[in-house]
Amino acid sequence: MRNRAAWLPWALPAIVLVTVFFVAPFLLNVRFAFSSWTSFRSEITWNGLENVRTLIDQDLLANAVTVTVLYAILCMAIQNTVSLSLALALQRTSGINTVFRSAFFLPTLISPLAAGYIWRGLLAPDGAVNSFLGIEWAWLGEPSTALVVVAFIDAWKWSGLITLVYIAGLNSIPKSLLESATVDGAGPWTRFRRVLFPMLAPALTFNVAVTLVGALSAYDVIAATTGGGPGDHTRALNVVMRQQWGQGFFGSASALGFTVTLLVIATAVPLVWWLRRREVTG
Amino acid sequence: MRAPSRLLGSAIGAVLALSLSGCGSSAPEGTGQVKLTLWHNSADPAALLEMYKKFEKQSGHKIELVSIPSDGFEDTTQTKWATGDRPDILEYHATVSGLLALNPAENLRDLTGEAYIARSGDLYQAAGSVDGKVYAAITGFPQVFGLYYNKKVFTAAGLTPPTNFAELAGACPKLKAAGVTPVFESGGSIWPVQILPILYLAGANQANAYGKAIAGHSSTLADAGSPFVAGLTAYAKLKADGCFNKDIVTAKFEDSMKALVTGEAAMVAQHSDMLPALLAAAGGDQKTVDESVGFVGLSSDKPLVTYAPGPIGTFYLPKTGDAAREKASLDFVRFMTGPAYAEYITASKTFPVFKDVPDPQGVPSVLQDVKKAYDTGAVIAFNSDIPGMGGLAQLMSELIAGQKDPQKAATQLQGQVEQAAKAAGLPGW
Repeated sequence: MRNRAAWLPWALPAIVLVTVFFVAPFLLNVRFAFSSWTSFRSEITWNGLENVRTLIDQDLLANAVTVTVLYAILCMAIQNTVSLSLALALQRTSGINTVFRSAFFLPTLISPLAAGYIWRGLLAPDGAVNSFLGIEWAWLGEPSTALVVVAFIDAWKWSGLITLVYIAGLNSIPKSLLESATVDGAGPWTRFRRVLFPMLAPALTFNVAVTLVGALSAYDVIAATTGGGPGDHTRALNVVMRQQWGQGFFGSASALGFTVTLLVIATAVPLVWWLRRREVTG
Repeated sequence: MRAPSRLLGSAIGAVLALSLSGCGSSAPEGTGQVKLTLWHNSADPAALLEMYKKFEKQSGHKIELVSIPSDGFEDTTQTKWATGDRPDILEYHATVSGLLALNPAENLRDLTGEAYIARSGDLYQAAGSVDGKVYAAITGFPQVFGLYYNKKVFTAAGLTPPTNFAELAGACPKLKAAGVTPVFESGGSIWPVQILPILYLAGANQANAYGKAIAGHSSTLADAGSPFVAGLTAYAKLKADGCFNKDIVTAKFEDSMKALVTGEAAMVAQHSDMLPALLAAAGGDQKTVDESVGFVGLSSDKPLVTYAPGPIGTFYLPKTGDAAREKASLDFVRFMTGPAYAEYITASKTFPVFKDVPDPQGVPSVLQDVKKAYDTGAVIAFNSDIPGMGGLAQLMSELIAGQKDPQKAATQLQGQVEQAAKAAGLPGW
C-alpha cells in the first residue's frame, strides 16, 4: 500500500490525460463502428458487424490490414536499424557529431505532409533521384517499390528522434562495463552483442513500440506520396478510412478506425510485455 | 481561499467572454450586417471571387472565405460537413449523387420558388434537386467533359481528332510513331482517370437512360456485357496498346495540362472548368492556348460531350438556425442570380445558364469549341444521379495497376452503389 501511495501522485497526470484524450473518446465513439451512420440520412442505428461485412465484401479490409502490418514492420525495422547505427556513430559528444545529430534530427521538425511532397518530387520519374542515378524508375508508382520507398521516407522523417533515444541509452551504460569486456578480450562486435545491446533494452523497448504503433496508424506520409497507390499497394487502413469517410460511409470508416485500435492493442501490448520481460531477464 | 476563488471566477468569466466574442458570425453591433462563412472551391476563377467582393460592397455583409482544395474537394468537404460544422453558404456539386450525400432534406434550405429557377430551363430536372425540391443555385455553365487535343500535333501527324473510341485507338499508333504521347492520363491526382470511361458511356446514356437504370436498380454495372464493363475494357485496351504516358500512375493533372500545351501529349480527357489550369500551363498566355488547344466530344461511337453540373458557382444554403445570417445568405443567392449575373458572365467569359442573359463577347477559342461540341450533342454524365460512385477513381487506379479486371472492378463498384443507395433509401433498393 505504501508503494501505491507513493506511485499514484506521479502517475495521476498521465492517467488523467490518457483517460480524457484517449480512453473516453474511444469508449464514446466505438459504437459508431457498429452503426449505420452515413451522410445520407440522420438516423444512426445499430447494425452489428454489417460494416465489417461490407468492407470484406468490397475487398477492402484484408488488403488494408496486410498493407498496414507490412508497412509497420518495414518502418520499425528500417528506423531501428538506421537509428541504432547512427547512434553508435554519433554517440560521443563532439562538435562535428553535434552538427550531424542536428542534421539528422531536422526532418523530425518538418510536417509529414511537407516531407511527403518533397520526396514525391525528388522520386518522380523525371525527378532529382533518377537524374542522379541516371535511370528512369517510378519509385512511388511501381508496385514492387512503392511500399518500401514510403517506409524509407517515414524512416528519414523520424530516425533523428529515435537516434537521440538510442544515444541517451548508450550514454547511460557504465563505461566500466565496456572496459572490463575489453580487458577480457572482447572485440567490438562481441562488446556490442554481449554488453551494449542487452544494456540498451529499455531504449529498444521504447523505440520498437513507438515506431511500430506510429506506423500502424500511418496516414500522412502515404497520403502525400502515393495516395494509397499504385492500385491499392500502399492503401493502409487509415487511407481506406479517409476514402470511406469522404464518400459519406461514416460507419464503415469508424469500423476501420476501430480495426486500427485493435491492431495496435493486439501487437503493441504483447510486444511491450515481451520486451519489458527481456529487459529484466536479459 | 476567498481571493483565489474570486480570481478564478473572474478568469473563467474573462475566458468565456473572450470565447463568446470569438464566435465568428455575430453581427457587428447595430448595423444589421453579418459575417457569412462561404466554403468555396480553391479553383474558383478570379471573376467569381470578384463577385463575392461585389456582394460584400453592395450588401455591407462580410464574407469569410474558407477555401477547400480542388484536389480532393469532395472528400475534404464531406469530412468538414460530417463534423457538424456548417457554413452559411456552401459551394458544392449540383449532381443528385453529390446532393444526396449532404442529406438535403435535413441540412439544406429549400430554394424552390426562387426566381432564378424558372429562368434556367429544365436544368433543375437533372441537377440540384431531390424529391421535387430545389436546393441548389447553379450559376456556372455545366462542366463539359470531352477531349482536349493539341491542334499542332494533329496537323503535323495529318490526323483529325477522334470522336469515338475506335478512332481514338486508330490514332494511337500513328501519334506514337510521331514521337508523341497519344493520351496523357494523370493517375497521381487519382480522379482524372475516371473521365475516359465516363466519356465512353455517353453513347449508352442518351436521355440519362443508363444512369436511371443503374440508380433504379433495373440494371447493374456488373451485368454481363454491360456498357460499364465495355467502357473499362476499352480503357484497359488503350493502356495495353501503350496509348498512355509512361508515368500514368504518378503524373498529376497539372502535368497533363503542361504536356498538352507543349505538344508532348496529343490529347487529355478533361472538363471545361480546367481552362484556368490550361492557361496557367501556358504561362498565362491565352494566345498560346488558342493556337495550340482544341476540344471535341468523344463517346463509344458518336461525337458526344458529357456534361455534369459542376461545383464552381453552385451554391447551397445550409440550415444554421440564425435568422439574420439565413436572410443574408439568401440575399447572396439573389445577388448572384440577379442583375449582377450578366456582369459576371462578361468578366468570366463563360456561358450563362439563364436564358435571358446573352453570351459574352471575346470568349477564348477553346471555350467556343466546348460550346460548339455541347450544342452539337451533350449527354449528362451517367453517374450524376447514382450515389456511391465515389469509388470509381480508386478502382480505376487498381485497373491501371493490373490488380483488377473490368468485370471485377464493376462488381466491386456495384457493391458500393448498393451500400449508398440503401443508405439513401432510394426506391428499388
